[in-house]
Amino acid sequence: MASSNLPPRIIKETQRLLSEPAPGISASPSEENMRYFNVMILGPAQSPYEGGVFKLELFLPEEYPMAAPKVRFLTKIYHPNIDKLGRICLDILKDKWSPALQIRTVLLSIQALLSAPNPDDPLSENIAKHWKTNEAEAVETAREWTRLYATGA
Amino acid sequence: MDSEDDMHDANDLDSVEDDFYSGDTGMGSDDGDAHYDFGDNESDDSDDITSRQQQNYTILSEADIRQHQEEDISRVSTVLSIPRYAACILLRHYNWSISRVHDEWFADEERVRKIVGLLEKPVEMPNSRELTCGICFENYPCDCMNSASCGHPFCLACWRGYISTSISDGPGCLMLRCPDPSCSAAVGQDIVELLATDEDKEKYSRYLLRSYVEDNRKIKWCPAPGCEFAVEFVIGSGNYDICCSCSYNFCWNCTEEAHRPVDCVTVAKWILKNSAESENMNWILANSKPCPKCKRPIEKNQGCMHITCTPPCKFEFCWLCLGPWSDHGERTGGFYACNRYEAAKQEGAYDESERRREMAKNSLERYTHYYERWATNQSSRQKALADLHSMQNEKLEKLSDRQSQPESQLKFIIEAWLQIVECRRVLKWTYAYGYYLPEHEHAKRQFFEYLQGEAESGLERLHQCAEKELQIYLDAESPMKDFNDFRTKLAGLTSVTRNYFEHLVQALETGLEDVGSSNSQATCSKSSSLKILGNKSKSGKIKPAGTNSASGAPSRSMDDGNLWSCDHCTFANPKSNNTCQMCEHHR
Repeated sequence: MASSNLPPRIIKETQRLLSEPAPGISASPSEENMRYFNVMILGPAQSPYEGGVFKLELFLPEEYPMAAPKVRFLTKIYHPNIDKLGRICLDILKDKWSPALQIRTVLLSIQALLSAPNPDDPLSENIAKHWKTNEAEAVETAREWTRLYATGA
Repeated sequence: MDSEDDMHDANDLDSVEDDFYSGDTGMGSDDGDAHYDFGDNESDDSDDITSRQQQNYTILSEADIRQHQEEDISRVSTVLSIPRYAACILLRHYNWSISRVHDEWFADEERVRKIVGLLEKPVEMPNSRELTCGICFENYPCDCMNSASCGHPFCLACWRGYISTSISDGPGCLMLRCPDPSCSAAVGQDIVELLATDEDKEKYSRYLLRSYVEDNRKIKWCPAPGCEFAVEFVIGSGNYDICCSCSYNFCWNCTEEAHRPVDCVTVAKWILKNSAESENMNWILANSKPCPKCKRPIEKNQGCMHITCTPPCKFEFCWLCLGPWSDHGERTGGFYACNRYEAAKQEGAYDESERRREMAKNSLERYTHYYERWATNQSSRQKALADLHSMQNEKLEKLSDRQSQPESQLKFIIEAWLQIVECRRVLKWTYAYGYYLPEHEHAKRQFFEYLQGEAESGLERLHQCAEKELQIYLDAESPMKDFNDFRTKLAGLTSVTRNYFEHLVQALETGLEDVGSSNSQATCSKSSSLKILGNKSKSGKIKPAGTNSASGAPSRSMDDGNLWSCDHCTFANPKSNNTCQMCEHHR
């Protein structure tokens, strides 16, 4: 049942994700549902998330690749483009999605978003406000959260 | 029965009026046909009325729209020497304005090509025996692949899926680009025709047709339910009243039902107020904002203040101040404290609109008064429309039979009913007008109510004549001698009433500006508006003196000095007569 009616593209993508993972990213399909991926992203160096390991879930809807995958942070994170439910404000997950993009490109984009928060197009208003008014303090909070929620355990 | 069909087709008040007065249209009339006609020109205002009656729009059927669209595409394709699909993409991008396409293209072709995604030199697909599809990652032989002008190869099944997804997402499919995220080459109708399923081709072609109407400043759909006609309007030509070939009358500007003398803003307010959906509207008002560009309501359910409207609009704006997002950034305080909004709020710009809404809600009783009268006239109008149809479909034939008159000579009865329908419409809207007339303008209110009352009784007189008095002739066993007198009376009343309502509409449209200076002046202008010219020619026929008369300039041979206006029915009689030609009332 698991992979029998899975489109070849998803199988190929999965194989490639497992055989040549992108640096700092791991993604593996769930055993019960090959469209559901458990994802881990390492906090990029020189970012307040450095040293943290962030868990995400990624789901490929029926229409994939014509429709974008659904991605959400499971680990609590202090970031202006990610809200408290872990939802991500990223254009390629919405109107800029193209079927020529892949799971890999999506996860790389999310990793890049951790390196470069964009408080001008925020999802979480309070965090963005914090970022705009006192960036040093906001970055410190992000570090604190990384320490609290994204390490150890 | 040709004449009836004509009548039905020309179920357009203005054009019927034109037919009626020009005397040489439709009915193929030689002199015999129009001998009961009245000139209703008043020299002062006739120019106004004339300009209003000139048709400043064209009704387009679906075939016409397609033809126009094809012609425009061919024209741009020829002038710019580009393929038809490219011309189509360009025209759509510039809202089907040929002149804008030409202007932009010749100003900076390279820039335009970049914006719409038309490559100057098409790129061929890589020249190898086998290629990998960028979507499903399968390898296929070259001839099973296709690409847009950019050469990025995708397999036919993925193309079909890509196009299909985009088409089911809506009219945004008309701006389709290559699936490669780094590429912005346009995917035009040529590729859709080549690769999509028949069902999708059909949908795409419908979106394209709709775009030609909906994105085009000069064309709109007729808003009547089920009507498939569109209207091409001469922008800037003043009068907004449109009469569609489906016989629905509507306003070009706001696409509501025709509503003169009330302006569009008032009508929108009034309709919103009456709407059975008003609870829903309240919700929409409270929870959404209209896109500042395309006016569709947008609900913000999550995310940032940076809103991008859905295609085809795609306008990017700030949720707080509704200004373009391009004006935002560091300077305006970023997203979370839009300075433009704060400043405007302090100036009271936002409070004002909220306060106004509040006030409207509090006047329920007053509203009910006007609403009931508005609705009553609405239903009278529906009744009159039904009567008009039964007149056209059965009674006219019967009358023609009983009174031994050719149907072509009974047109005055239809004319009378059309006028009744039109008057009910105007009268209906005067109640919306009255509702929004400020309470404190006592003189205006008083004058308005007087005019409205007069209009109502004038219309009753006409209605009475067209309904009750006509019945006598319908019931008669044999032709009655005084039928010609009846003809003269009804045609006269129609003309008087038309004239009165025409001036009423004008007076209301100018905001009753006569009032305020002095009441006597207002009354005076009113009484003059009730005059009509009876211009009898030698043969005893009254010559058509139509506004658009093909026979020449409107008759103005009599000046006001030679006339007296009947106190009873307001008909303008020559001084030589001491009894009114219309109602036989003594001078």
